[in-house]
Amino acid sequence: MMRASVTNQRPTIFVVDDDSAVRDALKLLLRSVGQSVETYGAGSEFLESYSEDRPGCLVLDIRMPGMSGLELQQKLNEKHSILPIIFITGHGDVPMAVEAMQAGAVDFIQKPFRDQDLIDRINQALEKDTSNRAALGERNDIRRRLETLTPREREVLDLVVHGKANKVIAGDLKLSQRTVEIHRARVMEKMQASSLAHLVRMVLEVGQV
Amino acid sequence: MTLLRVAEPQEERAHRLEREFQAVLDAAVDAVVLFDHEGRIELLNHAGERMFGYNEQEVIGLKVNILLPEPYRSQHDDYLRHYIEAGEPRIIGIGRELLAKRRDGSEFSAELAVGRVQGTDPPRFVGFIRDITVRRNAEEALRRSEAQLTIAQEIANLGNYVVHADGKFEDYWSPHLYRVLGRRYGEPYIGVYEYLEPMVHPADRARWQAARDELETSARSMDIEYRVIHPDGSLRYVHHIAQTTRRPDGRVLRQVGTLHDITDRRRAEDEARQMQDRIAHFGRISTMGEMAAGIAHEVNQPLTAIATYAQACQRLIAANDFSQEEVEAALNHIGAQALRAGEVIRRLRTFVKNREVRRELIEANRLLDDVVTLAQTDARHNGVRLVLEPSPQSPQVQADAVQIQQVVLNLVRNSIDAMLTVPEVRREILLRTTVDSEGDVEFMVADRGTGVDPAAMAELFNPFFTTKPGGTGLGLSISRSIVRAHGGKLWCSANPGGGARFFFTLPAVPASAGSQQ
Repeated sequence: MMRASVTNQRPTIFVVDDDSAVRDALKLLLRSVGQSVETYGAGSEFLESYSEDRPGCLVLDIRMPGMSGLELQQKLNEKHSILPIIFITGHGDVPMAVEAMQAGAVDFIQKPFRDQDLIDRINQALEKDTSNRAALGERNDIRRRLETLTPREREVLDLVVHGKANKVIAGDLKLSQRTVEIHRARVMEKMQASSLAHLVRMVLEVGQV
Repeated sequence: MTLLRVAEPQEERAHRLEREFQAVLDAAVDAVVLFDHEGRIELLNHAGERMFGYNEQEVIGLKVNILLPEPYRSQHDDYLRHYIEAGEPRIIGIGRELLAKRRDGSEFSAELAVGRVQGTDPPRFVGFIRDITVRRNAEEALRRSEAQLTIAQEIANLGNYVVHADGKFEDYWSPHLYRVLGRRYGEPYIGVYEYLEPMVHPADRARWQAARDELETSARSMDIEYRVIHPDGSLRYVHHIAQTTRRPDGRVLRQVGTLHDITDRRRAEDEARQMQDRIAHFGRISTMGEMAAGIAHEVNQPLTAIATYAQACQRLIAANDFSQEEVEAALNHIGAQALRAGEVIRRLRTFVKNREVRRELIEANRLLDDVVTLAQTDARHNGVRLVLEPSPQSPQVQADAVQIQQVVLNLVRNSIDAMLTVPEVRREILLRTTVDSEGDVEFMVADRGTGVDPAAMAELFNPFFTTKPGGTGLGLSISRSIVRAHGGKLWCSANPGGGARFFFTLPAVPASAGSQQ
């Protein structure tokens, strides 16, 4: 499966709030700091236009009629979304905020907020999104490289990352030690590994140990 | 009566007089009895026979005092003797009331007059006896009914009066009217209206004067309640009803009226109303306590918008990257949002303030709008839509706006609670006003929730009955008493599509109500 890799696309701040005044004000504020903003009046509207390829972050009102902020978060989690979520909460919504954080939200901020606080949180969230997407892109590269290995090379790789010496591998696979060495060199080359440690780290990264 | 006849022979004249005398005796309504100086009866006329039950022949020669019971019987002999010995006419010629006695022993009230027959010696007397039983009974009955009326007026604390406009008869104050108006019985007469005028409470005077003028000029009757200040300074409430009788030309001939002191009733009503108002106020405070978090959120929304707009403008201006339209729009929004927050707070304050209950003429539909502002937060947080269906007739009601809002809000909150467990698509509350066939305004709050359990239906309006954990069980009970105090009723029925419908009515406002006090 192909996943989005690091793109040069400009990040977008997605604002979901049922209160049109709050929505409009946030749009103006974020425009004032040069961010690209899209606003939605309901969780369902956002879901319709949601695309996992679009980088950015989600600024989400926790209390809304119809689909609540928490419900939208859950729907996005089901889609394996990596979009960072900053919840906007009212006073007395701490238990809901805790629930949101446990479900993976990056942050929450209480209304009314200082503009700088929100902007700082958004910037952090965007950095996180960038690194998430970068990591995701790297993992996809590793997976693609792994797919180029022959079955025999894959067998050798598995044994190498488990710390087996060439002699032991040769015994296990009933190959000559020389053949194992050739396979091993091919694996290092195909995986673009600079060292054994690098190779192990890449395999761990994609969870294929 | 003396009849003059010319040249009539002496004997003929005597006969004629005798016949005439007999005719007079026979025609007399009163009993006539002739008796001599010893009291022996010489004659009893027909009326006397009927009155006493004797035959004339039976009593001739008997003592006249057999016609009297004791003690009059013995006294009569004394009177007669006294008269003859001293020549003193004790009872002679004087009408006197006493008891008389019939043959069968029964007694009756009688009026007696005795005269001496002139020119006789020894003297002879004629007695006239009149049966006054009927008159005495009537007098007695009148006295009794007057006494009873006075007692009744005292018990009811009511007095009546009659004013004669033409001065031919004396005006009348019933004894208790003096008390009702704070005077002592028997104080010099003064016209009721002249007396009342300075006593009427200043705040009620214009209304009183208008009613009085109307009665004087055109109305047949008046019926008003007002306050009076007694000479001792105490404040009383009176209910004054009066009627006029007019001459054919329309001028007032006579006015009769009653003044009813209703102070005790009014004070009891006032106390009951104050108690009800206090309970209603308590209900609002506890409602607001329950809604506080939601209301705080409702105020927080505009504050968030205001703060964000302002901060955005600062940044745009600082960066010198803005259009005038953009900043103007933001400033407009700031103003509007500040008013929005202020409005929420104003409604909240009005709702919980312990203020005087005031009935005003208000638009029924506006009451719904105001409630929606208060209930919107709760509804939104629970995914409930509020749908308004105001009557296109824009009916008016005479009501205390806050109390009626309290009733509607209470019904809406109940409906929200009843829908928490139903799917979101069903969570809708319909608020409707209609005008019924009698012109009364009917309010409906309908939900599509779990409905009312038939077993709970009977108890629904009882104080402290609740199906909600943490509920006080006062909401519906308070709502019903508020609606009743407004002259309406509150009831509930199942919603055909599932859920419950609550209705209440407020009486129609008469077309002229706008000009009334």
